[in-house]
Amino acid sequence: MCVQVLMVEDDERIRQALSLALSDEDFTVDEASSGEEALRRLETESFDVMLLDLTLPGMDGLEVVRTLRSRGDLPIIVVTARTDARDVIAGLEAGADDYVTKPLMASVLAARIRALLRRRGPGREAVRIGDLEIRPQEGLVHRAGERVHLTRTEFRLLLELAGAGGRIVTREQLLQKVWGYDYFGDTRLLDVHIRRLRRKIEANPDEPTLLLTVRGTGYRIRS
Amino acid sequence: MRLTLRCRVTLSFGFGLLLVTSVLAFATWNLASGYMLRQREASATRQAEVNVRLVEKSLSSPGLDELLTGLTTGPDSSILVLTPTGLVSAGREVEPSELPADLVTHPPGRAQTTVAGLSVIAVTLPVAGNAVYVELFPLQQLDRTFGFLSAVLIAGTVGSALLGAALGSWASKRALKPLAELNSAASRIAGGDLRARLPDQDDPDLAALAAKFNSTANALEQRALRDARFASDVSHELRSPLTTMVNAGAVLRRRREHLPGTAGTALELLTSEVDRFARMVVDLLEISRADQTDDPPPEEIALDALVRNVIATRTEVPMDLEPAVVRGDRRRLDRVLTNLLDNAERHAGGAVLVSVRGRGSAVRLEVEDAGPGVPPELREQIFERFARGVMAGSRGDDTGSGLGLALVREHVHRLGGRVWVEDRSPRGSRFVVELTEF
Repeated sequence: MCVQVLMVEDDERIRQALSLALSDEDFTVDEASSGEEALRRLETESFDVMLLDLTLPGMDGLEVVRTLRSRGDLPIIVVTARTDARDVIAGLEAGADDYVTKPLMASVLAARIRALLRRRGPGREAVRIGDLEIRPQEGLVHRAGERVHLTRTEFRLLLELAGAGGRIVTREQLLQKVWGYDYFGDTRLLDVHIRRLRRKIEANPDEPTLLLTVRGTGYRIRS
Repeated sequence: MRLTLRCRVTLSFGFGLLLVTSVLAFATWNLASGYMLRQREASATRQAEVNVRLVEKSLSSPGLDELLTGLTTGPDSSILVLTPTGLVSAGREVEPSELPADLVTHPPGRAQTTVAGLSVIAVTLPVAGNAVYVELFPLQQLDRTFGFLSAVLIAGTVGSALLGAALGSWASKRALKPLAELNSAASRIAGGDLRARLPDQDDPDLAALAAKFNSTANALEQRALRDARFASDVSHELRSPLTTMVNAGAVLRRRREHLPGTAGTALELLTSEVDRFARMVVDLLEISRADQTDDPPPEEIALDALVRNVIATRTEVPMDLEPAVVRGDRRRLDRVLTNLLDNAERHAGGAVLVSVRGRGSAVRLEVEDAGPGVPPELREQIFERFARGVMAGSRGDDTGSGLGLALVREHVHRLGGRVWVEDRSPRGSRFVVELTEF
């Protein structure tokens, strides 16, 4: 099946070049030049992933991410021209699944998209951790009987940790399994996602009791 | 060896005070001892004159002996009356021959002398025509006083010299404190910390110096920031066109077979240079940002695990890793190792060993290669920005951005460590990154 990508970018030349290059990687690319246009199209059409430039005319990129997150869990890869920590973290905090910085290569982007859309392994049993219940088959998480809404990335992150059954999962393993990264230097992506996940599954995110940090190494789920 | 300024000030204060107090002590000694001796002599003479009058009256009486005994003032004093017929004496036994002959033959007279091992004042007076009255007054008490006085004066002189030295040391330390601060601030700036400043000075002599120094440092910092911002702005503006170029290039490269001959070669040149250009812009942006302070709070990093992870994503390299934990920004450490490995691949046919070893409180990350090595005169230079040109003949088809090692140095510097390159035996070079172990 061909992956449908919605690219939101105000620079027409970049749009064209990236479309061509991504088509070579077997993606179908639709283009939008502003946040408003993208949101309008999403109301009627469906896409597998969204590429979103943060600096847009009119509606701000971060605003677009927040709006989309309130509606559902469409995977979003943020494209930034700046690599300032603040920009990247703001995008991830708003709910983006991954980020790339310009000048981005279509091949790298393609690998990221594929990792993001990778299917879960089949036949996983439901897992219980404290008052948390994870059902991998349906992609559902309940906390004390109440449904918790996780994005696809958050869900996969939780599943990787839960699957280890209380053993330590290193940051590198998480980055590779969830995001398909082979460059491990950047910790912001993982840090922000862990923070987001804790906000959703922990009673008190500042004093986590389920998702524990192992200093200098990685994370583990309380067994 | 030349003495330090502080040492010299201390010594001159010490010697100066020693000189002054010893002159004063010497003068005091002379005046005091001379005066006391004169007083003693005068009182001895008066006493002798009184005594002689008594002796005169009873010279020929038999009670002279008893009289003389009564007149002596202590066991060490002696009175002798020499008459032509003989000698009458009292007190300590003294032979007349021991007395100074002048004094006895030509009375009256007075002299300080030593008789039978005792320091005395001898007073001689004529009695009734041809007899001579001699009285010896011991000086023991006065000698003891002199001893005490000289001890006090010597101790005072030595003490004040020591006090002077201490004062000099303290004063020079006070006076040199701003200089020490200036020195430390200047070396911090030389070491790359452009935020070093001197504290405000109350002293008008020093305030001007501090103000001048601080304004120079300010200007320097502003300039460095402006430079960094400019580089950052330029590379930022280049990012959008580069994105277009890199991706259009990728599309073209995929269709390389449709462009045979010259056009194909030109296409290859174009796309590879565009890729290099993109790398350069990314590195330039990184290095201009490397100066700025947007680091996340430092975290504990297991250096051996980090090395293993980085190597796992690349060509296999032999490793010799000891467990070590450092503190810092993981991204920086990752870039340091990646760039060192890239550098080894580009210029020396790849790394042959990566090791992590503890060295006391420090930990060393070493990347070794078996390439041509780096000549000693270039070992500083290769860490400069765009220094790639210094390695003659190294501009192959896959040249880097020219910023790789400069970035290594920037990152290591920000991690609070240092980096250098040394010879490896039998051939090649060893890049050493030394960090503080946590």
